[in-house]
Amino acid sequence: MRTLVCMKQILDPDMPARDFRVDASRNEAERAGANLVPNIFCENAVETALQLRDATGGSVTALSFGTEEAEDVLRKALAMTADEAALVIRSDGPAPDALNVAKVLAAAARKLGDFDVVMVGRESGDWGVGQTGGLLAEELGLPMVALVDGAEPDDGGLKMRRQTDYGFDAVEAQAPVLVTITNCEGNVPRIPKTRDVMKAHRKPLTTWSVDELGVAADEKVAEVVELTVPEKHVTCEFVEGDSLDEKVDAFARRIADAMGALG
Amino acid sequence: MSSDVVICLFASYGYDRAAQGVAGAGRNLAAQLGGSLHAVIVGPPEEITTSAVAAVADTVTVLDQPELADYQPELYLAALQQACKKLDPAAVLLGSDTASLELTARLAARLGGSPMSDGTALAVADGAIRVTRSAYGGKAEAVFELKKSPAVVWLRARGFEPAEPTGGKASVERTIVELPDLVPTRIVDRRVEETKGIPLEDAQLVVGGGRGIGGAEPFDDLRQLAEVMTAAVGASRAACDEGWAPPSAQIGQTGKKIAPELYLAIAISGAAQHVLGISDAKAVCAINNDPDAQIFRHSHFGIVEDYRKVVPPLIDRLRVLTS
Amino acid sequence: MNPADATREIGWNISAIWLMYVLLAPTMAVAGYGLWRHIRLWRCGQPALRFDRPVERLAGLVKHALLQMRTARQAYSGGFHLMVFAGFIVLAIATTVVMLDFDFHTSIMKGRFYLVFQSLIVDLFGGLVGVGIVMAAGRRWIGRPRQLIYTKEASWLLALIFAIVVTGFLVEGWRIAATHDPWAAWSPIGNVVAGLSAPVMSESVLRSAHAGGWWLHLLLVYGLIAWAPFTKLRHIVTAPLSIYTGNLDGYGRGLKAIDFESEAPLGVASLEQFSWKDLLDLDACTECGRCTAVCPANTVGKSLSPRDIVLDLRSLMHGKAGELLATRGTTPEEEPRIPVIDQATAVAPDALFSCTTCAACLEACPVYIEQLPKILDTRRYLVMEEADYPQTMADAITSLEQRGHPFPGAQFSRVDWADGLDVPVLSEVEHPSEIDVLLWVGCANALLERNHSIVRSVATLLRDAGVRFATLGREEGCTGDPARRIGNEFLFEQMAAKNIKIFDKYGVRRILTCCPHCFHTFSNDYPALGGNYEVEHHTTFLAELVADGRLCPSPSTGQEVTFHDPCYLGRYNTIFDAPRELVRSASGGAPVEMAANRTNGFCCGGGGGMAFAEEPPDQRVNRERARQAVDTGADVVAVACPFCMTMLEDGAASVAGDHELVVRDVAELLRESVGTTENTP
Repeated sequence: MRTLVCMKQILDPDMPARDFRVDASRNEAERAGANLVPNIFCENAVETALQLRDATGGSVTALSFGTEEAEDVLRKALAMTADEAALVIRSDGPAPDALNVAKVLAAAARKLGDFDVVMVGRESGDWGVGQTGGLLAEELGLPMVALVDGAEPDDGGLKMRRQTDYGFDAVEAQAPVLVTITNCEGNVPRIPKTRDVMKAHRKPLTTWSVDELGVAADEKVAEVVELTVPEKHVTCEFVEGDSLDEKVDAFARRIADAMGALG
Repeated sequence: MSSDVVICLFASYGYDRAAQGVAGAGRNLAAQLGGSLHAVIVGPPEEITTSAVAAVADTVTVLDQPELADYQPELYLAALQQACKKLDPAAVLLGSDTASLELTARLAARLGGSPMSDGTALAVADGAIRVTRSAYGGKAEAVFELKKSPAVVWLRARGFEPAEPTGGKASVERTIVELPDLVPTRIVDRRVEETKGIPLEDAQLVVGGGRGIGGAEPFDDLRQLAEVMTAAVGASRAACDEGWAPPSAQIGQTGKKIAPELYLAIAISGAAQHVLGISDAKAVCAINNDPDAQIFRHSHFGIVEDYRKVVPPLIDRLRVLTS
Repeated sequence: MNPADATREIGWNISAIWLMYVLLAPTMAVAGYGLWRHIRLWRCGQPALRFDRPVERLAGLVKHALLQMRTARQAYSGGFHLMVFAGFIVLAIATTVVMLDFDFHTSIMKGRFYLVFQSLIVDLFGGLVGVGIVMAAGRRWIGRPRQLIYTKEASWLLALIFAIVVTGFLVEGWRIAATHDPWAAWSPIGNVVAGLSAPVMSESVLRSAHAGGWWLHLLLVYGLIAWAPFTKLRHIVTAPLSIYTGNLDGYGRGLKAIDFESEAPLGVASLEQFSWKDLLDLDACTECGRCTAVCPANTVGKSLSPRDIVLDLRSLMHGKAGELLATRGTTPEEEPRIPVIDQATAVAPDALFSCTTCAACLEACPVYIEQLPKILDTRRYLVMEEADYPQTMADAITSLEQRGHPFPGAQFSRVDWADGLDVPVLSEVEHPSEIDVLLWVGCANALLERNHSIVRSVATLLRDAGVRFATLGREEGCTGDPARRIGNEFLFEQMAAKNIKIFDKYGVRRILTCCPHCFHTFSNDYPALGGNYEVEHHTTFLAELVADGRLCPSPSTGQEVTFHDPCYLGRYNTIFDAPRELVRSASGGAPVEMAANRTNGFCCGGGGGMAFAEEPPDQRVNRERARQAVDTGADVVAVACPFCMTMLEDGAASVAGDHELVVRDVAELLRESVGTTENTP
């Protein structure tokens, strides 16, 4: 089974909140000294793809549309034992919107060949809009299943489990198909072995520019017109008491009050 | 230029609080646009649902062919695509259920419009729809202007006030749509998790457990506390990743967004992604043995202690106080 | 009777004494073979440079093999061991004298020498052996401390040696009685035996008993010699060997260098990948159990036991001797041929990843066995080759790779600690190579809010003393120490290389660290990678400033202070006094000492990546150490390491006590006593 995994490099979501600042001229977060990391759901996707390949054979290709630094994310996927990678380089200007990303990824995917499965993370840890997967499916003319957390090969297609707001669905799909991946205990990204980290630098990684793919960057679906950091006004009252019992009692009373107010 | 709004509802959920919120958002947006509110219900609705929807919308379209009895993504997508095309709205609104999350982007693409997610407020500016939503894992708030029409947006439904009845009763039309015979994807089994009591998103009292709980068994002990509090039980992403709670219990950026009267966070560090899921809670309190834990910056009251020392006596105290 | 003529007839009453020589041959053959069986196994290990610096090594031999300085640390067992050891040395000398006189016709055993040495001293030391064995037996059979392991072999060895002593004295006594030895009084114990025997045994009975006893004694001794290499008694050969070839470079430098370019496996997964010294170690173990007794993880109930790791590896080596021999001269394979890591043994991943790398085991071992490097070798394999290790440690590693610090979720940046302090940053200093010292903050100080006060104290004191310093600000990234101790040597080298580049860019010569882990890594691990700097820890630096009068503390009184030695400052780098000096300067008196202090300090539980691990609440090293601090009755426990600070504060919070135990860094104490505020101009 030939799987394509699309990955995004984002600003570290765990950066200290006090370091987070908005660049008002670009309506984006300021890069400042923050680190760039792979989006966790993209890594869950790589892990899911690798488990699929390890079960059935085939290959895993990692693809990203990002700045030159995004190569780190692809090298990590290669270190996790993905077979090959491709990077479409974008300039360091304002970030492209979901439709633009989908068009570029679709063009790159077509250049990389036919895939049985395309996997993307359900959303990214920065904007979290989560629409790129669906738009990419439409660009490639593929059916889509969202919020998948496990996939098995099934008679040329896939048997999947996906998370719902009420529990789980079992979904069967024929290849080719696009799936968006969410996290679960079964797809925690594997820790790369050191040998594989060293080998990753020797695995094939193709780079393209957007122009080489012939994608026009004009159409936009959305634009950020305002980005603000909301003010927080909560001060925590720590319960008082000389002993643990007293503190627990004070805590319990406040909870009981809240419960009582509900009637 | 259309000025109508379509709300997409799924029959299996009935006219629940989420549907009420979507309807309320739709009504407001339609008013801002100066247009009508059309409701599209997919699947065979109960009479009570249809009436309730008819009381708040201007028209109701029901798509209840047998193939649409249960949610199947390709079929529902085709159905909504046709229904929306016919109604030609400026905006299509959906809720925060799984089907809405799955369909929004593709529906937008097929309608030639712009998709957006997790909207908490809607506005109109210079003829374009603007959606407010959180960004950067909850560290910021963004307003997106949607460039293409229609805007197809799934909303943080329970955060919107329910629609007021129009005073009238809309006409209900049953429409037949063309559906493909063969579909490449099929949901073959639906497993509903046993949730004792109220679902997480509707609960007024919620207890959440985090990485600091330390194991599946102690996590189960939290249920005792939840029982005494008549609360639902949720979990941080870390606890779900460990397998101590099912994904449907996850609260946060990629889990449930809850809006209870009181949220009790136990052994949860309070990372922004989790806090995003509780930002609509009226009050937050926390038990954590780390006085520097982030969660206290979002809490109204708290106790700095090992939760193992607090929870058992807390259960006893609450039993007495609430008896 | 002229004392100058005093002697005795060697071989009196023994016919066919030539049989003794005949029996000696197979005895030596068996013993030699027994020893060879082990030597050939050690030779299957990897090379190691352990025969350099012979003078230093000989000195070690004198101190620890002869004078038994480490064995003597435990008074009771050290005492009886010394008795048996000394006794056997004396008896060996005596036997040699007998052999020289008998076989080479010398005349040593005569006169004063015969009386004083060959009779009196030999008797007393022989008796000492007996006393020693009785003491040992009492400990093993009655006392039964947890520290020991209880094998039949150990009991038989005691019994055998005791029998040798007893038969020796009986034979002597019966000879004295039968020959009416005029010098009997010079052999007091033999004399007593003679006195008790003579009344009840006729001369012919005495003679028969003597001859029989003599042969029995000989057989027992020969038996012991032949059997010894097959038992833990082989340590009479292997222990001096392991002491001689021990690690001379300090605990931090016992780690093997790795060549990432080669195909050799990273770390150790198969027995033959250990060095020959590692394999020799396994046969040098006397099963004394001291390493496990001092291991902090073991003390709090974890499965880690350094002694059992050594003994399980020893069993593996003996059990798989054939396979081990077959590995000689072959190239390493991907799959370990003789797997070392085994969940069912003491070399289980759970145990391996409970180790805080405190080196207490290395310090405790009387024969210089290196337990810790073996643990780290297997960790390296699990981390780098298998990527199979605790998730919390993996998260710390990922955070190191992504953020340059091991604290995922930390809410502070590298520079927040300095808010309002106006600390110079090297990139903004006009002549960076002209500063006195680079102040290296350390991740645990920068990213953990509680520790900000420590480095603020250091910075303020430096400013007061007029030291020209700067920090790297946001350019500072982890030294790589957590990666190295967890087992990811590759990441460590990457991080070190990065830091060395930055240091060299600015021409940094002198580094002042605020954390013993940073201190240790810069001093001991960076030179091999090309980073050679003068490195100091804030305790020695500040102590020097006080001694020079550049800082003037006015000591406060009232609070009892105890001091917790950080493993990486104390045991690893032998810095014990400077922090105590600071406590004295700051509080007016020397700190009250905990029982486990200085080189025998008990770890706080934070090293080896354990600060990032999740532990069961009833198995926390930090709680045990906090309890030990509380037991001193002190109000304050002073520390000199941000990890110790975090661990002990957490431990103190969970230890019930009459009063709250406060944890302070020595820099904080010093700053208070100097009376400086952050705003003092």
